[in-house]
Amino acid sequence: MSPKAMIQDNTRCIGCRACMIACMAWNNLPGDTGQHFFAGAGYQNPRDLDARNYTVITYSGIEAGPTGQPDWVFGRLLCMHCLEPACASACPTTALRKTPEGPVVFNSFRCIGCRYCMQACPFVVPKFEFDRVVPVIHKCTFCADRIAVGREPACAQVCPTEAITFGEREDMVKEARHRIASAPTRYVPHIYGLDEVGGTSILHLSSVPFEQLGYPTNLPDRPPPTLTQKALQFTPKIFTTVWVTMALITMFVRRRFRFWAEDEHGENHDPRH
Amino acid sequence: MIRGIEAPSWWRPVSWVLWGLVLAAVVATIVRYATGIATIANVNQAYPWGWWVGFDMLTRIALGGVGFTMAAAAEIFGVKSLRPLTRAAVLVGLLWYATYAAVLMVELGRPWLVWWVFISWAPTSAMYEVALCAVAYMTVLMLEFSPQVLAKLGLTTPLRRIRAVYLLIVITGVSLSSLHQSSLGTLLLLVPTKVHPLWHTELLPPMFLLSAIMAGPAMMIVEHSLSTRFLRLTPRMDALRSLGRGLTVLVAVYLAVRIGDVLYRGVADQALVFDFVARWFWLEITIGLVVPLALLLTPDVERHEWRLFAAGVCVVVGVALHRLNAAVFTMKVHSWETYQPATTEVLISVGAMAAMVLVYAFVVSWLPIHTEPPIEPESGRAPSGAVAQVAS
Repeated sequence: MSPKAMIQDNTRCIGCRACMIACMAWNNLPGDTGQHFFAGAGYQNPRDLDARNYTVITYSGIEAGPTGQPDWVFGRLLCMHCLEPACASACPTTALRKTPEGPVVFNSFRCIGCRYCMQACPFVVPKFEFDRVVPVIHKCTFCADRIAVGREPACAQVCPTEAITFGEREDMVKEARHRIASAPTRYVPHIYGLDEVGGTSILHLSSVPFEQLGYPTNLPDRPPPTLTQKALQFTPKIFTTVWVTMALITMFVRRRFRFWAEDEHGENHDPRH
Repeated sequence: MIRGIEAPSWWRPVSWVLWGLVLAAVVATIVRYATGIATIANVNQAYPWGWWVGFDMLTRIALGGVGFTMAAAAEIFGVKSLRPLTRAAVLVGLLWYATYAAVLMVELGRPWLVWWVFISWAPTSAMYEVALCAVAYMTVLMLEFSPQVLAKLGLTTPLRRIRAVYLLIVITGVSLSSLHQSSLGTLLLLVPTKVHPLWHTELLPPMFLLSAIMAGPAMMIVEHSLSTRFLRLTPRMDALRSLGRGLTVLVAVYLAVRIGDVLYRGVADQALVFDFVARWFWLEITIGLVVPLALLLTPDVERHEWRLFAAGVCVVVGVALHRLNAAVFTMKVHSWETYQPATTEVLISVGAMAAMVLVYAFVVSWLPIHTEPPIEPESGRAPSGAVAQVAS
């Protein structure tokens, strides 16, 4: 199956949060009483993703909307399903992996709770149940189970304004470009997720610059795993090189200085004795 | 076998305090296992790694580098004066690694599944490499230390076998260390958007390895100064001299790399604004590198043990600061969320330190770590590191 993607067109979002409800229903997540209102960036409730909320619609105030009046803009938090996910590269037990269809899926069975995936994620998406005795990592699954049987993710299905569009990534990129080109006043000319950290499976469109939606905008285009790969690829070479070098130095030093002889105090400090 | 090492009079009350700290940490651990990490730690959704990673993982492993650096200096590079110290170095290294492993069992969310790492294949993960190499190196440390125990127990056959491959063990230990010490830097390399630019550099892996090597002689100076003082032994000044010289070179090189890297990447201006982050940066540079270098470069430093000791302490604190700064103190993820270590988080670390001291005290009274009987006892000459008042 070819890689899928989803357009999150924030200009079409009306903030109804049906996607959040559909997500909870499909993933059997408990409802959230939410005590964080006004506690973070934006005015949404809950303020951020957590172990019980795989997606959150954010409400951000801007000073001048289309009519010049203060206005609301909506954004959406969810796993971006990076093409080269840092979380999956970081996981020491391969509990996280990127599937060919696009979703980055999590196998809780293998998770040891090191939380390196949370640290690795540039979008701060994976969440942990710090308050549970047997905690698990939680994050959006891109409804991998639905995609596997040829259906679209739950959020995409319920969105009443077609703000969420699901399809082949190639088609979605074309569609996003087409939307921006056909309505340049409606969109900022940037597809968030096209190049960020090497590209993601979720492509966001917006009417205002993305930092006003609270999206991280300091992201490199280079996928973070390439940074660590540069270091980790040398592992076998480093081991062999250091080993051989040390062995050669040992042989050289010992031959030269007759190392095992007792020192001038008549002591033998050979640690092997 | 061991003669004359007896505990100072104040050891008993101090040991009770240490036992109290260990007990408190054990209680906190029980609470954590019964109710979840959130009860005793402030790590949260934005800052999933806290004090336990910054100190108990990154710093403990760096300070445990004393094992491989001293073994390499004495056994591979043939620095004779350091050979009497290698037993203590291996012991201290082993204690740092063992307490890292112990605290890891508190820090991990699902520690009972940690064995998954050993049956996984995740070559893209720095954490995977750290886990495998650290466990392998702990085995090496135990093998390096085993001759002491085997000799004490009189098990001559395994002792002979260990001795036959001792050098291979040391060399393997150095190789494993250069891998996982640098991979600790690779851990942070993955998050360029969260680690502050003053700390995030592509040189993190080699810099972490270099600072671990630098921590080796520093830790050794600290250990030797403290142990000789408290166990009333004569300090081996020749060894301290070698350590001081090595440390001077290492600190100078590391300082040059650290400052050069900040300048080369053009982020020096962020150190000059004097905000919260810059203060930590300058504290780390000053205490960890400039002050010890100044102390080490004073004339006649080799005859002033306290200067060497102070320099050693500074470098150890500086290495800890570098890692805590990079991974905890200056990390910024969300503007509206912060992380400060909880008292109970630090308590776990303190309890682990107390346990280290207790185990250390037991081992040095049981095994000849600091003293070695002279080869020719009839000569009546006490070895330079032996107990000062053997006769008394």
